[in-house]
Amino acid sequence: MPVPTRLRRPLAAALPALIAVALTACNNAQYPNSVFHDHTEFNRQVGHLFDILLWLGGFVFIFVETLLLYTIWKYRRKSENDRPKHVHGNTTLEILWTAIPAVILAIIAVPTVQTIFKTQAVASADALQVEVWGHQWWWEFRYPQYTTTEASGKIDTLTTANELYLPVGRKVNFKLQTIDVLHSFWIPQMGGKRDLITNHVNYLWFTPDSVGEGAWNGFCAEFCGTSHANMHFKVFTVTPPNFDAWTKHQLTMAAFGAVAPAVAAASAVDTSKRGAQTPQSQPGPSQVVQTTPTTGSPNAAAPGTVAAASIGGQPMSATPVVQQAGYVAFPHDKLPRHVIPQTPLPAGLAYNESLKGDPQRGLDFMTKQMGGGCIGCHAIAGNPMMKALVGPNLTHVASRTTIAGGIYPNDTKHLTLWIKNARRMKPGVIMPTLGAGEYDPVTKTNIPKTGLNDQQIADIVAYLQALK
Amino acid sequence: MATMAAPTALRPHTDAYGGESGIWAWLTTVDHKRIGTLYLFTSLFFFIVGGLEAGLIRLQLAGPNKHVLSAEAYNQMFTMHGTTMIFLAIMPLSAAFFNYLIPLQIGARDVAFPRLNAFSYWVYLFGAMFMNFSWFIGAAPNGGWFGYAPLTTMQFSPGLNIDFWVIGLQILGVSSLAAAFNFITTIVNMRAPGMNLMRMGMFTWNAFVVQFLLVLAFPVITIALVFLQFDRFFGTNFYTIAAGADPLLWQHLFWVFGHPEVYILILPAFGLVSEIIPAFSRKPIFGYPVMVYATMLIAFLGFGVWAHHMFAVGMGPIGDTVFGVTTLLIAIPTGVKIFNWIFTMWGGSIRFTTAMKFAVGLVGLFTIGGISGVMHASPPADLQQTDTYFIVAHFHYVLFGGSMMGIFGGIYFYYPKMTGRLLSEKLGNWHFWLTFIGMNVTFFPMHFSGLLGMPRRIYTYEAGQGWETFNKLSTYGTGVLIIGTLFFVYNFFRSFSNGAIAGNDPWGGGTLEWSIPSPPPEFNFARIPRITSRYPMWDMKTPALTAEVPHTANGDKRLDIDVAGKHTAEGHPVPIGNEPKQPAESGMHVEHATGESAKDLGIPMPNPTIKPLICAAGLITMFSGLLFIHEDKLPLALTIMMGGALIMVVSLYGWLLTPLEDAH
Repeated sequence: MPVPTRLRRPLAAALPALIAVALTACNNAQYPNSVFHDHTEFNRQVGHLFDILLWLGGFVFIFVETLLLYTIWKYRRKSENDRPKHVHGNTTLEILWTAIPAVILAIIAVPTVQTIFKTQAVASADALQVEVWGHQWWWEFRYPQYTTTEASGKIDTLTTANELYLPVGRKVNFKLQTIDVLHSFWIPQMGGKRDLITNHVNYLWFTPDSVGEGAWNGFCAEFCGTSHANMHFKVFTVTPPNFDAWTKHQLTMAAFGAVAPAVAAASAVDTSKRGAQTPQSQPGPSQVVQTTPTTGSPNAAAPGTVAAASIGGQPMSATPVVQQAGYVAFPHDKLPRHVIPQTPLPAGLAYNESLKGDPQRGLDFMTKQMGGGCIGCHAIAGNPMMKALVGPNLTHVASRTTIAGGIYPNDTKHLTLWIKNARRMKPGVIMPTLGAGEYDPVTKTNIPKTGLNDQQIADIVAYLQALK
Repeated sequence: MATMAAPTALRPHTDAYGGESGIWAWLTTVDHKRIGTLYLFTSLFFFIVGGLEAGLIRLQLAGPNKHVLSAEAYNQMFTMHGTTMIFLAIMPLSAAFFNYLIPLQIGARDVAFPRLNAFSYWVYLFGAMFMNFSWFIGAAPNGGWFGYAPLTTMQFSPGLNIDFWVIGLQILGVSSLAAAFNFITTIVNMRAPGMNLMRMGMFTWNAFVVQFLLVLAFPVITIALVFLQFDRFFGTNFYTIAAGADPLLWQHLFWVFGHPEVYILILPAFGLVSEIIPAFSRKPIFGYPVMVYATMLIAFLGFGVWAHHMFAVGMGPIGDTVFGVTTLLIAIPTGVKIFNWIFTMWGGSIRFTTAMKFAVGLVGLFTIGGISGVMHASPPADLQQTDTYFIVAHFHYVLFGGSMMGIFGGIYFYYPKMTGRLLSEKLGNWHFWLTFIGMNVTFFPMHFSGLLGMPRRIYTYEAGQGWETFNKLSTYGTGVLIIGTLFFVYNFFRSFSNGAIAGNDPWGGGTLEWSIPSPPPEFNFARIPRITSRYPMWDMKTPALTAEVPHTANGDKRLDIDVAGKHTAEGHPVPIGNEPKQPAESGMHVEHATGESAKDLGIPMPNPTIKPLICAAGLITMFSGLLFIHEDKLPLALTIMMGGALIMVVSLYGWLLTPLEDAH
C-alpha cells in the first residue's frame, strides 16, 4: 500500500525548498518585520547562529524524513504471509544514534554559548542610553543623557511616546522597565526581544550600524491584557546630525507658538561630528514647520494624508541621508508604507470637520478650565499645569507620526476622534471617552451633555498640533 | 491455537459490562473500562470545543483588521483554547487510555483503587464544566493558559475571569493527582505473575513515567495557584507588585510545572505509537530497554529545563547557558525514540491501517517539532523566536503532530477493543489525510509569520506587514482540519453500531489486551495470565519467531515456574470450560468468556457506588463558593463552601466505611 509515500515524498522535498525561498524573500521589502535583517551586530550574530541551526536542522529533517519514507515504502506488506524476523535491537546502532545527535548538539552549543556571552555583556559606557517604560498599552522612551532645565529649576529629561529615534552607528543601551504588567520590547529588524518585568530592570543593547535612515516597527511581544495587539512603536534610524537636531528640538519647552527652526538648524551643524561623513546639505523637501499654527484649516496639518499619498515604492532602508535645516522629525513623505498605521476606524465615529480649532482657546480650555481632565494624566514641558505622568508626554506630540500606541496616524481626523472617544478606538484603553453624547464601552453609558463638544475638541486638537 | 478461533462478538457496551446498562450504571460505575470510556467521550467533546475555539481564532486572524471577535473575546478565546486543549482534551484523552489499557496490559482486573478512579473522572468532568460555565456569564478566563502575574492579579484583572481559571485548574489538579497515585499503585502492585517491569507493554511504561511526572509537577502549579488565589481572595502579596513582589516567582513556579506538562501531554502518545508500530510491522519494538530508558531520561531532564520558556526575562548569561544546554540534551533521548521507531519498521512487514498512518504521521511530524525545538533551545536565537508565531508553529507540531496524531492512532487501534467493532478504514483514511494535510497547511506557515515578526496572542494585525498570506493559509488549513475531524466524529458514532465485528485481536497485536474478548468482560481476565515475555500473544501465535528470545532469567524458555508458583493463589485462578489443553506451555490463557458474569465465575468485583460522584460534587461546590467572595456576598460564599465541604466529608466517610467488594 504505497499511498502515503506518494504525497509525503514530494512534501519532504518541498519543505526545505520552501524554507530556502522564504529566506531569500525575507529580505524583501515585502516582509518589513523579518528577523533576517542584519541591521545590527545583534541580529548578525543571531542570524549566524540561526544559519547553523537551519542547516543542521535541515540536514536532520531531510535525513530522518527520507529514512522514514524509504522504510515505510521498502518494508510495506507485500503478502499477508510475511513473517519478518523478530529483531529486538542493535547496540551498535543505538549507540550510534545517541552519539551522532550529541555531536550535532555540541556543534550548536558552542556558538550558542559564545553568542550568549557576547550579546549579554555590559554595554560600553559611551552608548546612547534609552530608558524604556512599558505601560498598558503604550511605550514611553526617555533619553537620560539629554536633559534641559526649566526656568523653575526643574530638570526635564527628553521624553517621547511610541516613537524612538536612534542615531545610525552608535550603540544604544536600553534600560527596560514597566510600571504595570509584563511587556516585551521587540524590534524584529534590530535584535532579539527582552521582557519588561515589574520590579526588575533589564538591559538590551545593539548598534544600528548597517542601516541608513529608515523607519521600523516595534511591538510588544508579551501578552499584557486587552490591547496587547495594539501596543506598537515606531523606530527611526537617523544620521547623527539629525539625531542631535532632533534631541535639541525635543528638549525645547513647548512654548506656545512652536519652535524657531533656525535654532535647531544651527545646532544640527554644530554637532555633526559623529558618523555623517557625507553631510549632504541637499535641501530636500522642505520640512513643514509651522511657525504660525494658529492658522490653517483642521485638515492642513494632516501628515497621514501626505504619507498616504506617498505610499508605495519607498525603498525600506535606502532612504538617502538627508540632513535638513530645522530637522524636527523624520520626514513624513519618507515614511515607508509599513510604518504607516492602517487600522480602520470603528464605525459610527464622526465629528464636525468644518469646525476650525483655535490653539489658544484649546490651551486655555485644557489648563485654566481643566477641560477634559487632560491635566490629570499628561505632561507638557513648559506648561506648568501639565505635569502628570500617567499618559504619554505631549510636549512635542505634533512631531510624532502616530498616536494611540502606534495604531493610528497622527492627523487631525484621528486625533479629534481619539479625544472624542478613545475607548472605542482602542479596547481597554485608560484614556476616557470625552465627547458629549458618545458611548463609553467601559461604563456602558453615554457621556452626558457636559462632555466635550466638537468645538472644544477642535480647539484642543489645534493646540496639540501646535506642539511641533 | 484453538483458543484463538471464533472470536465472540458481544453487543458493544451492554453485555460488555456485566449486562448492566442505563444511566445509573454509568453514574455509579467503578469499572476502569467504563470510566475510560467516560473519559474518552468527555475529552473528545472538549477536543471539539477547543477546536471550535481555534476555528474562531483563525477566522479572526484570516486577514488584517477583522471583526469576528472583539479584543476581549479573542483574549478569552485563546486562553480557553489552550486551557481546554491541554487540561480538558489531551490530558484526559491520555487518561482514557490509561484507564482502559493499563489493567488490560498488565493482566489485572481493575485499577488499584476503583472508587478513587471514579472520583478522578467526576472531578475532571465537574471541573471542566465549572471552567466552561464562565462562557455563559461572559467571564471566561482571559489571561492566557500561562496566566502570568501580575496581569492575573486583582489590580489588573478584577473580573471573575481569572477566578474561574485559578479555581478550575486546582480542581483539575485534584483529579490528575488522584488518578496518578492510583495508576502508580496499579502498575507497581497488580501486574500479572511473570510480568516484571521490563516485560510491560511500552504504553504502560510511558503511562507509568507520566504518572510520576504528574505527581511531581502538579503540586508545583498548585502552590503557584494557591498563592494567586490567596492574593486575589484574601489580599496576600505573593504577586502584588505594589508591595514589591517579584513576578518571576510565578513564571518559575508555572514552568517548573509547565515543562514536565509538555511530556505529560506527549509521552502517552509515544506509548500508543510504540504499540501501534510493532503490531503493524509484525516486529517487536526495536531496543525496548533503550526506549524505556529514553522515556525516563526525557522525564528526568524535563524537570531541569523549565527556564527555557523564560530566556527573554533577563536571567543573565549563566542561567541562559545552563537551561539552553539542558534543553539541547533532551533532544538526544527524543531522537533515540524516533530512530527506534523507524528501525522497528525497518525489516518489518508494514500494513498501513489508519492507526499506522497516524503513528507514522507522529514520527514524521514530531521530528519537525523537535527540530524547531532545538532552534529555540539556543537562547540568542530564541530571543528572535519566543512569543512569536514561530513558537506557535513549534508546539502545534509537537502537540497536534505529536500528541493528537498519536491519540488518533490510539483511538483507531483500540476502538475495536473498547467497542467490539472496527472503525471504518475508508472514513479513517479520509480523516488521516485531511488531518495530515490540514495540520501542515495550518501550522507550517506559522513558522514564517513568526520569523517575519508576528507576535503571539494578538487579536488583530495591520495590513502590509507581510503576514497576510501566511495567516490566510493557516486559516484555510484549519478549515481542512475541521472537515477531517467531522469525518472522524461521523466514523466514531457510525461504527459504534455499524462497524465490522472486531474479534479479540483484529490487528495481530502482541500484548495481553488482545488475548481477551472485545469488548472485554467486566473482569477482563477470567484467569490471571502468566507472563514469560514482552509479547505473550506472539509467543502463542507464532512461537517459531519468538523462540530465539530468552523468556526467563533461569533459561526456561516457556515456563516461568518460580513466578507463576508464587502468584497462583493471589490471582484467583478459576478453571472454566473450554480451557486450552496446555495453558502452562504457552504461558498464556485465553478464554472465551461467552457472557458469563463475574458472579457466575466467582470472581469478586468492586461494587458500583454513587459516593465518588457525590464526593466530587461536594468538592466542586466547595470551590465554587469562593466566587461569591468577589461578589461581596460573604455569607452566601461561606454557606456554599461549608455545604460543599459537608457533602464531601459525609460522602467520603460513607465511601470509606463501605467495603469495596462483597465479602467472599
